Amino acid sequence: MSWKAYDRNQPVMDPQAPPVLTEAVREKIRSFFPRYETKRAVLLPALHIVQELLGYVSYQAMKEIADLLEIHASDVLDVVSFYTHFANHPKGRKTVMVCRSLSCELMGGKAVLEAVKNTLQIQEHGTSTDGQYFLVTEECLAECDHAPCLKINERTYHQVKATDVSRILADEKNAELSIARSSLFDPPGH
Amino acid sequence: MVLQAALEAGMDIPHYCYHPSLSVVASCRLCLMEMKVPDPKSGELVWMPKLVPSCQTPVKEGMEVRFNSPAVQQNQQQCMEYFLLNHPLDCPVCDQAGECYLQDYSYRFGQPTSRMVEEKLKNPKKDVGPRTLLYQDRCVMCSRCVRFTDEIAGTHELTVVNRGNRAEIDVFPGLPLNNPLQGNVVDLCPVGSLLDKDFLFKQRVWLLRETKSICPGCSTGCAIRIDHNEGVIYRLKPRFSPKVNDYWMCDEGRFGWKYLQDGDRLTRPVVRRGGEVFYPRWEDIPEIINYRLRKLAEQQTPTAVVLSPMLACEEAWLIASYVRALLPQAVLVASWLPVQGAEQNFPVGSPAEKARFTIRPEKCPNRRGVELLINKLGGASSTLEDLIKQVKEKKIKAAWITGGYSQRDWVSKELAAAAKELELLVMQDLYANALTDNSHVLLPSCCWAEREGSFVNQAGLIQPFERAVDGPEGTRRDGQYLYEIAGYSGLYRAEKVRERMAEQLAEFRDIYVAPDPPEHQH
Amino acid sequence: MSSDFEPILMRNVGVAKAADLQVYEARGGYQGIRKALQMSPEELIDEVKKANLRGRGGAGFPAGMKWSFLPKERKVTYLCVNADESEPPTFNNRVLMESDPHQLLEGIMIAGYATRATVAYIYMRGEFTEPFHILQRALNQAYAAGYFGKKILGSDFSMECYIHRGAGAYVCGEETGLIESLEGKRGWPRIKPPFPAVAGLFAKPTVVNNVETLCCLPHIVLRGAAWFTAIGPQGSFGPKLFCVSGPVNRPGCFEESMNITVKDLIYGSKFAQGMIGNKAVKGVFPGGLSMGVLTGDELEMRMDFDSPRKFGLLGLGTAALVVFNEDTDIRDVLLNVTRFYAMESCGQCTQCREGTGWMYKIAQRISLGAGRREDLDILVETTRNMGMMPGLSICGLPDGAAFPIRTLVEKFRAEFEQHIVRQEPGKVERVLRVLN
Ligand SMILES: Cc1cc2nc3c(=O)[nH]c(=O)nc-3n(C[C@H](O)[C@H](O)[C@H](O)COP(=O)(O)O)c2cc1C
Ligand code: SF4
Ligand code: SF4
Ligand code: FES
Ligand code: FES
Repeated sequence: MSWKAYDRNQPVMDPQAPPVLTEAVREKIRSFFPRYETKRAVLLPALHIVQELLGYVSYQAMKEIADLLEIHASDVLDVVSFYTHFANHPKGRKTVMVCRSLSCELMGGKAVLEAVKNTLQIQEHGTSTDGQYFLVTEECLAECDHAPCLKINERTYHQVKATDVSRILADEKNAELSIARSSLFDPPGH
Repeated sequence: MVLQAALEAGMDIPHYCYHPSLSVVASCRLCLMEMKVPDPKSGELVWMPKLVPSCQTPVKEGMEVRFNSPAVQQNQQQCMEYFLLNHPLDCPVCDQAGECYLQDYSYRFGQPTSRMVEEKLKNPKKDVGPRTLLYQDRCVMCSRCVRFTDEIAGTHELTVVNRGNRAEIDVFPGLPLNNPLQGNVVDLCPVGSLLDKDFLFKQRVWLLRETKSICPGCSTGCAIRIDHNEGVIYRLKPRFSPKVNDYWMCDEGRFGWKYLQDGDRLTRPVVRRGGEVFYPRWEDIPEIINYRLRKLAEQQTPTAVVLSPMLACEEAWLIASYVRALLPQAVLVASWLPVQGAEQNFPVGSPAEKARFTIRPEKCPNRRGVELLINKLGGASSTLEDLIKQVKEKKIKAAWITGGYSQRDWVSKELAAAAKELELLVMQDLYANALTDNSHVLLPSCCWAEREGSFVNQAGLIQPFERAVDGPEGTRRDGQYLYEIAGYSGLYRAEKVRERMAEQLAEFRDIYVAPDPPEHQH
Repeated sequence: MSSDFEPILMRNVGVAKAADLQVYEARGGYQGIRKALQMSPEELIDEVKKANLRGRGGAGFPAGMKWSFLPKERKVTYLCVNADESEPPTFNNRVLMESDPHQLLEGIMIAGYATRATVAYIYMRGEFTEPFHILQRALNQAYAAGYFGKKILGSDFSMECYIHRGAGAYVCGEETGLIESLEGKRGWPRIKPPFPAVAGLFAKPTVVNNVETLCCLPHIVLRGAAWFTAIGPQGSFGPKLFCVSGPVNRPGCFEESMNITVKDLIYGSKFAQGMIGNKAVKGVFPGGLSMGVLTGDELEMRMDFDSPRKFGLLGLGTAALVVFNEDTDIRDVLLNVTRFYAMESCGQCTQCREGTGWMYKIAQRISLGAGRREDLDILVETTRNMGMMPGLSICGLPDGAAFPIRTLVEKFRAEFEQHIVRQEPGKVERVLRVLN
């Protein structure tokens, strides 16, 4: 019997590559240390910060985060893989999240999803050829009173009709919030 | 915990995630039981309507539990169906077959068929480390392996990725499972998911015979089991020993025995006299040795006995007391000590007093045993260095030297040079070297797996070990020929010798044999 | 039913700039904490106990009692605010945080004072983006005004408050999953004991409370326990938010006492105002998906903590209703529900991990028109073989999976069977061949 197996002995990143986390990013991550009893607790904030910076969390970044938080890289991989919002692969600049839970589905969510797929010519977990969009479906976004919903990065779209989709996606500024944005995690204001 | 108590009482409670030396996660939900609790109204004890994990419930005075109720059995059955939902059922080609608790439990606690008609999830096989393969399809997600790398090794290589029924065991690419204790995860895995490449497809496990032994790899002296068949060793496995190694052993010990089967061992006795070489039969050896030693005694030749820390206590005692009987002035010398590296404590980075496992730099099993004998037997003793000087100064003219090391180059230049000065050199060793080449009487040794006896570990525990296999053709067990040389007849049994030693040396009345773990614990 | 219910938790919803500190203060905000600081923590806990404030996060556990489980001797106490709101189709916490973030912050201060908490972490689901920015801004204002930090309002009480954002995992709403997640780990719920009150976050005494639960506190403190218990039926006191969504005329979040019925919430003129196009209600999930489903004939159920059990449901849950109408294919509902739990099971416990996955596979096949009668039996049996109630799992997620799936299959069995009967012969085999 032959064994065809994925080889995990080889690094997937270039050991000589320069660090991807800039000193500023590291400093930002470190600024969270006082908030928690352990450095490890800063993992989720750190991943959010890095994903915002790089668009995804590369293996290289995982390793660097692990070193910064003094944990093993496998623990970072574990957490990245558990939470659906973190990606370990490059993806489109804007993430379109279409809600697929019950209220949205009842109100036409499936048609909205189809419209997004058709407009962008991608499937779920695909990135559009221009690198602009990445498409995922999500469980309930807690906006069911406005079903069906979708999000583009941080911005939520309410009562989306399949016919609205191409217009929304064509808008350059479709990921901009109408409210004042806080820094991802503000320092306590005292 | 109730589960442990039940297992110790001989009950066969199915369990996967529970392991006595790892943290309790109670996630496989296979060990569930029914328990009586006080009724909130009447206060009398009644069976609780829900099941509780026996691995997570501490034993309390007067508690009542049961495992034989329909609810408990139904849960076991249901669990086994679930475990097999995505399992490939490839037992005929699986290495674990025969010692697999998926096979075993589903046969005993499960139901005959799966009701799932859909395709099973197919997960990839992963090469997770230089020595280890992970066959994800067979994994039951007990997380024992992950907890081992977190809690015992402290190296954290293994981890869970993804969630739900897509969850898998994995490593960070490029940081493979490669710690000095990693072999234990294969033992811990209750199914055939983690596999030892070294053992892969070599032998069906039900053909293997097991022999209790002690690892000779370092002075920790882990209790181990030698798995062998028809005189061939296939693998070593740790045995539970609460005072020594718990359930673990290190890779150095686990894989370090391969030199035994290299094929260039010394196999027959040699006698050299005035440039001539003879190959005597084993039967004649006692006669030859006796003759030579009596001659030394007559001439009052100053003689040394160099005792190797690879010898069993019984063998060392046989040699020393035999020589001393003829030559009461004989000097006892502790032989070369193989020391390598520093002490390695686990979990990695923990201080010695908190360590849950330690690999020691002294790469031999019985320094303490040899020293104990030299001290207790009294009389003249010396060190190897001094001995070399004394030989050069002609203050020692004859020696009986024992080797038996895995290090073929253990003989230093100085020792080799000194040996050439000796009038008589009786040499016992595994492989040819400068000493064996210049010896007057050469007695091939057997390795520890081919012998029986006892070692004294670094903590002073006297631990007996048994013979698993025969030495290469032509060899004889050291114990046997030493026994005959010393004038005994019949079959050498270490235990018999130990009894004799105990008459003289009280220490040997107290040997440590690790208790067998409960039959159904794994 | 009192149609003249005066909104309490939602009194600032719709008020211009209610998220601003000044507006909140001008409308009587931050008076509850001022009054609370005049009381001792023990008095405060007693008051909350008297109010019998039951947790709004799903389990309905009395908050005052939960707090009194904290060990007497303790140096550090953590308060975790459960803003993970992931139960479809629940959005009341969002409404509260978006429209009136200071009310929540005041509730946190009061709970923090009562439990002598040193740090409060608001665990907010990753999907909450706009609410996050609003709440973070409010928190910054509150810090600047001295409501958080050292020696709050001149008292000896000091507490920090941070927002911790999740990243997409329903199970992190479970209190120990939440704690694990806060510690930077995968959100695998912990075995209990030890309970969080004894050893929770960083192994310190910890209290976890839902956003809506905390939002009740300023009002209980200001108006007293007697006022609170005067609202709603026995055992289900106080104002409650109800979310209604699905094909109704006016979906939204409504505040009422727990005397209200499902029917009123769907048809009441102050509530959802009936079904779009006057379609008949085929079914309703009245407490979030996890509590189970009601048929169109069971709409008189009262939305309090105890009535749902009489209808075969798990409990009140999040009191979020999703209604589906006569046009809905029940197989689609089943598929949607089974997928949710299969995707969100954390994967620790065998029965939950494999059971949810298997049920999803069966539902997929059923929805492709290739169901078998025995599939329905397997589904029901599987739901009985999972969950915390029969002791088969670590957390309550599989109970939440079992109830909707079991009630769907049982209450709509006839419809499922009709579909199976109408299937073309040989469809099952063909679908399996394509799938496998
Ligand atoms: C799978 C699962 C998901 C849960 N999700 C949430 C949630 O999103 N928000 C919440 O407040 N409680 C949730 N809970 C309930 C919490 O475990 C806990 O009971 C609650 O936060 C306690 O707060 P309360 O007493 O104020 O209701 C969930 C429970 C389970 C089992
Ligand atoms: S690989 Fe083996 S030990 Fe590890 S989780 Fe899977 S079954 Fe358990
Ligand atoms: S019951 Fe399910 S979700 Fe909860 S801990 Fe177990 S596997 Fe995870
Ligand atoms: S169901 Fe889509 S937002 Fe809730
Ligand atoms: S739950 Fe007890 S052994 Fe796994």
